[in-house]
Amino acid sequence: MTTALVVGLGAVGTRAARQLIDTPGIARILLADRDAEQLAEVADAFGADAQAIDFSPGDPLPGDIDVVVTALPAGVDHPVVTAAIAAGVPVASSEEEHDALEQLRALDPNARGAGIAVGVGCGLAPGLVDALARHAASMFETVDEIRVARTGWAGPASVATVRYERRVPVRTWHDRTWREDHPHSDSLVWFPEPIGARDCRTVTGATALLVDAFPDVARIGVQLGEPPKRTRLRRRFGDEGEWGAARVEVWGRRDGAFDCTVYGVVERTAVAAGAVLAVVGAQLAGALQPPIDRPGVQGLGSLVDPVPFLAELAQRGVRAAAFEGVAVA
Amino acid sequence: MCSIHSRVVKVFKRLLLVLGAAGAVGLLARLRGKGGVPPTSGGWRELEGPEFR
Repeated sequence: MTTALVVGLGAVGTRAARQLIDTPGIARILLADRDAEQLAEVADAFGADAQAIDFSPGDPLPGDIDVVVTALPAGVDHPVVTAAIAAGVPVASSEEEHDALEQLRALDPNARGAGIAVGVGCGLAPGLVDALARHAASMFETVDEIRVARTGWAGPASVATVRYERRVPVRTWHDRTWREDHPHSDSLVWFPEPIGARDCRTVTGATALLVDAFPDVARIGVQLGEPPKRTRLRRRFGDEGEWGAARVEVWGRRDGAFDCTVYGVVERTAVAAGAVLAVVGAQLAGALQPPIDRPGVQGLGSLVDPVPFLAELAQRGVRAAAFEGVAVA
Repeated sequence: MCSIHSRVVKVFKRLLLVLGAAGAVGLLARLRGKGGVPPTSGGWRELEGPEFR
């Protein structure tokens, strides 16, 4: 009987839990959240296969868990991942903030030593776009540059992370070395319709996960769209961000010529992130084919096999698109 | 006294005009962004087939 522990029942965690319940290979899910009211409400809504438990980051994992799925605010994942590695349980995490990702990447030797796979940045971008970058890169003989962009956010914690990423100094991967810079100004990025063109800014974000996955690529850049303005209504009622979009450009050489492949996705950000998190969690638990058993702390550009991963997401309604037209460098 | 007053008003009006024009140009630049991460022509096609290409 495959059991998943879902920690954090915000916009992404709730959707990931729903997707896991609907996955045939998952028999039971345990739910944990610091908000007891929200926890009880979600557990009731999900029926007999879901059970609310008293678990907080820092606690030892309950027994008989096959996978841990975390959708927590930035920086809260670390004790959960540490406990999971100690217990020999794989983890799928939606963490996307660069400092927190560095802390999780520092656990890589521990995860490798324990033979445990830890997937981080399991969302729309990072996450799905990393898999799309891997998919696009397989069509090139050599890849020179990867550019990733996202607009949209999945709940208040995601908005806070986007705001933070956009205002702090940036680390970019340029000519195979890290370069530090002040926050850049915005530039227009074209996403699939109906999102269209949006102002985006280069950030550090999950660039390191892409560099881990594509160490030979000379330039890798990540951009994030402008978050919503702070208003009294949003402070009071929150903002789930609704529709979001992501886009990945891969530039390189194929058939002796310089060329580019552009993939994009439009979906409600929390829905896409929840589906990605659930699929990775189910693959880590061995409940979905192909199972993921590559030890270490990795992003999805290294962790998943893109074609079956995209096929599973398409079945769940999250579909990617390719741009066909004139791409300008 | 009256002449000084009218000169001050004129300078103030010019200042308002300059600030207004600068604000309009800034707003236009802000709305238009920097541009330049095209593609600007073409369309999107859903990935399909066994290879998702």
